[in-house]
Order: sequence, then structure tokens, then C-alpha cells
Amino acid sequence: MTTLAAMLAPLASEEPSTAVPFSEQPLIRVIMLSGLAAIGYLVFLRRNRLPFHIVTVFVLLAAGAAAVLFPGATDDIAHYVGVGRGVDLITYILEIAVMFVLIHYYTKFVELQHQLTQLTREMAILKAELEHVTQTKTSPSPPP
Amino acid sequence: MAGTSDTHVVIAAFNEAQVIRSVVGEVAAQGYAVVVVDDGSHDDTAASARMPGVTVLRHAVNLGQGAALQTGIEYAMRRGARYIVTFDADGQHSCEDIPELVAALATHDVALGSRFLGKAVVGASRRRRLLLRTATTLSNRMSGMTLTDAHCGLRAFRASAAPALAITQNRMAHASELLRKIRTSGLAVVEVPVTVKYTEHSMRKGQGGLQAIRILFDYFFRPS
Repeated sequence: MTTLAAMLAPLASEEPSTAVPFSEQPLIRVIMLSGLAAIGYLVFLRRNRLPFHIVTVFVLLAAGAAAVLFPGATDDIAHYVGVGRGVDLITYILEIAVMFVLIHYYTKFVELQHQLTQLTREMAILKAELEHVTQTKTSPSPPP
Repeated sequence: MAGTSDTHVVIAAFNEAQVIRSVVGEVAAQGYAVVVVDDGSHDDTAASARMPGVTVLRHAVNLGQGAALQTGIEYAMRRGARYIVTFDADGQHSCEDIPELVAALATHDVALGSRFLGKAVVGASRRRRLLLRTATTLSNRMSGMTLTDAHCGLRAFRASAAPALAITQNRMAHASELLRKIRTSGLAVVEVPVTVKYTEHSMRKGQGGLQAIRILFDYFFRPS
């Protein structure tokens, strides 16, 4: 136990610095940054959006890249708004964002379902009316 | 009493090829205009229901009973129906009850069939009865009405009441929706005793207790 505690001691006492050198955490940074770059590329491909949307997405991506390159900065922002850690702040923002997206798409889904209902109904009625018309045309005296 | 030809009987059917022919045949034999809505069945429900005096509408995709009924109701309205009756496709209703329901429309806008108003409930288990009683109590709490039966599929209403009763709940929550709309639109409603036969087939197709949870979810969380 004492050896384990001794091993962990330098980790716990390490001061959180605002700028961790890139050489200390290379892999995760590469993964995160390439992920953000990939999203940026996909957004760039879909240029049929409004310029405002594209700018918003790139601002968000830049903020994400900044958080990857300067992890300590999120802590500073968190402290400023009254949250203990930067990770917590990001989690809170993420929760709200996820809820927002869910509700947005649920609303869209319900709307779409409503439209599907209207379409299906209209088709069913039209087809029946068409059949009715052709039946009365082909047989002048339909069976009672 | 009004003639039978201005009464449209709307039957929503989903995978009912086994029994639909006899059900539709019985109703059509009474002289009613029958509108069958095949709700995107995977079997040949539509073909089985086709016979003289019967219009078969077909949903290209399955939408649910509420949507199918509304399609049938809208079609009946376009064909100039005066009275509209909704009737289950699984054979649990008997067409002898239709004249009584339609007769009630002389004085009321809506006539709801009730299983618990004197006539027999044939073939229902104790558990089924208890479930229906519970559903009735809950339904009355929700709709603010005092009815003896929760959601009997056999009902009739005047064509003039149809716009106020338009169903937007595609699945089974349409029954609660209907009660709410009857109440909020201030339509005159009456209950009429009807016979419901529980057959093995209708029980298998019917709504179980667990289904109630989904219906409640639809009712409260699916904006209409």
C-alpha cells in the first residue's frame, strides 16, 4: 500500500498547468484534433447551408480545438462561471446540447409522421375514388 | 329512424384476412355503406374485404388504428355520409347493435357503445373484466366524463360532429383523444349497450395490459 501511495503521490501533487506540452499527451490530441478536422471537412463539403451555419460550426470546432490544445483554459473558464473543473463544465454544456438536439429531432420526427399520415390518407382516398369512377364508367348499371 | 344507406360503417383492419370477410359481409348485408380501411396489412385483408357495397381503402404503409379510422371517416364524409359508425374488424362487435346506435343519433351527436350497460360480455375472463374496469376508471379520470366503458370500438356519430372529432393520434391513443374532443367540443353524447364477443381471435389481436403503457405515452407525449 505504501509503495502504491508513493507512486501516486507525484501525480496527485502535480500542479495543473494551463499549457501542457504537446509531447506529453501526443496520441489523444492527435485523435481529438483529427476528429474535429473530419467534422470540419464534412461541414465544408455540404456548402449548401447558410453561411451563418457554417461559421457557427467552425467557431464551435475552433473552441473544441482550443480546448484540446490548452486543456487548462477550460478550468479557468469553469472557475470563472463557478464550476469546479473544466471537465464538469463541458459535461454540463454537453447535457444541455444533447437534450436540445433530441427534442429538436423528436419534434421533426413527429412532424414527419404527421406528413406521412396525410400523404398515406390522401393516397388511399384518391385511389378509392379513382376506382369508384372507373367502376361506374365501365358498368353503366352497377349492382345495387 | 334514418335509412341505412346514409350510414357509413368504417372498419379499420390490419392483418384480418381470416375474419374480415364474414365481418364485412354481415354489416354490408344490413344495407349499410361499408368503408374498410386496410392499414397496410401484410396479408390479403384488402382483397378479402372487397365485395359489392363495400369500399376498400388501403394505406400504403401501416399507420395505426387511429389513422385508419380517420381515413375511413374522411372518405365517408366526402361520399356524403350523414351518420358514421366505427366497427371493429376482428368480429367482436355484432351488427345488430348498429341500428340502436344510429337511432340514438336522433337526439345526440355521439353514441358510444358500452359493454357494461346490461348486455352480455361474452367470453371475457375475470382478468379481462378487471382490466377493463380499471381502464374505465382511469379513462373517466382523464376525460372528466362518467362513462360505463372506457374504449369500446363500436360508436356512432353525426357527420356534422366529425370535424370536431378528427383523430390525430395514429395508434391506440385515439380512443382517449376522441373522449377528450367530445368533452371539449361540448357534443351531446350518450352510451348505448352493445354486445361484445371475446373470441380467441379477438383476444389475440386485442390490447393487453402492458399495451396501456404505450397508449398512455402516446396520449401524453406525442403532440397532436
